Amino acid sequence: METFLVVAGVILLIIVFMYNTLISKKNQVENIFAGLDAVLKKRYDLLPNLVASVKEYMVHERATLEKITELRSKALNGSLDSRETIALDKQLSSMLSNLMVAVENYPTLKANENFLHLQGTLNELEEQISAARRAYNQSVTDYNNAIEMFPTNFMASAMKLVRKEVFSIPSNERANVDVKNLFQK
Amino acid sequence: MKTNLASLLDYYYESMYPELKALEEKRQSIVATLKKAAFILLVIATILFLFLTKNAILIPLNALMVSGMGAFLIFMFIYRHESAGYGSLFKDQVIEKIIHFLDASLIYDKTGSMSEHEYQQSELFLESYDRFSGHDLISGKIEGVDVRFCDLHVEKKVRTKNNNEEWHDIFTGLFFMADFNKTFHSKVVVLPDVAERSLGVLGSWMQGMNVQRGELIKLDHVEFEKLFVVYGSDQIESRYILSHAFMEKIVQFRTKIGKPLYLSFVDSKIFLALNYTKPLFEPILSRSLLEFNYIKDYFELLAMIVSIVNEFKLNEKLWSKR
Repeated sequence: METFLVVAGVILLIIVFMYNTLISKKNQVENIFAGLDAVLKKRYDLLPNLVASVKEYMVHERATLEKITELRSKALNGSLDSRETIALDKQLSSMLSNLMVAVENYPTLKANENFLHLQGTLNELEEQISAARRAYNQSVTDYNNAIEMFPTNFMASAMKLVRKEVFSIPSNERANVDVKNLFQK
Repeated sequence: MKTNLASLLDYYYESMYPELKALEEKRQSIVATLKKAAFILLVIATILFLFLTKNAILIPLNALMVSGMGAFLIFMFIYRHESAGYGSLFKDQVIEKIIHFLDASLIYDKTGSMSEHEYQQSELFLESYDRFSGHDLISGKIEGVDVRFCDLHVEKKVRTKNNNEEWHDIFTGLFFMADFNKTFHSKVVVLPDVAERSLGVLGSWMQGMNVQRGELIKLDHVEFEKLFVVYGSDQIESRYILSHAFMEKIVQFRTKIGKPLYLSFVDSKIFLALNYTKPLFEPILSRSLLEFNYIKDYFELLAMIVSIVNEFKLNEKLWSKR
């Protein structure tokens, strides 16, 4: 009887430990996602100013600017889940980098004080977003490992935990794209 | 900032050589005095040994120890006395001149040191200490970045099994502090990775258990992860500080210097500690000052320290730091 109690106690402890590990990893993902959301929100806040300050110069980029505005309102309107946020951020990042390349054709815009300030702020925000993406990816990897590895995978399936998606960061962003340099070419 | 060896060679012959010649004479006279002292002490020690054993006052082993130790202690006293003045002149005429050659705006204080507050602020070494000493403080701006560094020695008193007191080094080597190019509020500490390298997964698990240090930050740079273990108080901000490009530079620097490297980021500052087992800016009495290679070693060491600002691009500030 005693042996049975000891074994049952050990099993219970292992179950509690696995449960807590999974929950802490899940919460870590959510916590870092909230941090990522905060920096993305900062970027959304910056976009109307950016669009307004470049609009009068960049007559040929109207489509890009409209797309950026549309993506922004999409991001702010509905309550997006993490998968949608990731997809939206990807689209917005690519739109913004298109815009930054296009700036090259507008010398007067490049000399505009207001725009220079925005460019600096955006540069810093990109660094913060990149850091938040990397932190999110690491936490998602830890979480995914935990729900797929033995023996926590049994516990995870009982808890109905599913894999989460990581951000795929374009290779040029991995090398810390320097927006400032893009402008100074 | 000049780091060119050819221009140092010109500077050495034009500005340093005449004074070094006079200093070299002093060095030779010190070496001669020390040789003379060593010879006299050896003679005295031998006489004392013979006297003690002949008169059967002590057994030969004890007599040898008494006479040998006595002579050694007296020699060390003479050595210290003679070399102290030379060391000070050497610093004025070699170290200070090399520093001014590298960057004329830097201030050199041979007796100055980084403060205990700065050492503690870095959080690089959490062990309590009993003795704190530093010298050769260099401070000023390099490429517009505030820097301070010195040769630092931090020790702890321990009791051995025989109840004897012993001094153990906590840190000895170069301690460097500079303004960092990003604004941040959390703390990040980058330490040499010993546990994971020697113990693998178990080591990694142990690193995660180090509650004193904070959260373990796993980074997405394979080489960097092999060399270092990182603790921080914020997962996102730690990665904001340790960007991919920056980790790459740290790996390159670590590979170049080939010494244990400690880094921390606190209050928008970067702290760097490099373990050296020998004093950094002290002269070697046995080497001639007129040998360029000897001077070159000090130049290369100082140039390496001064180049940290450039290597880590500490002068390239982000928007919020302008």
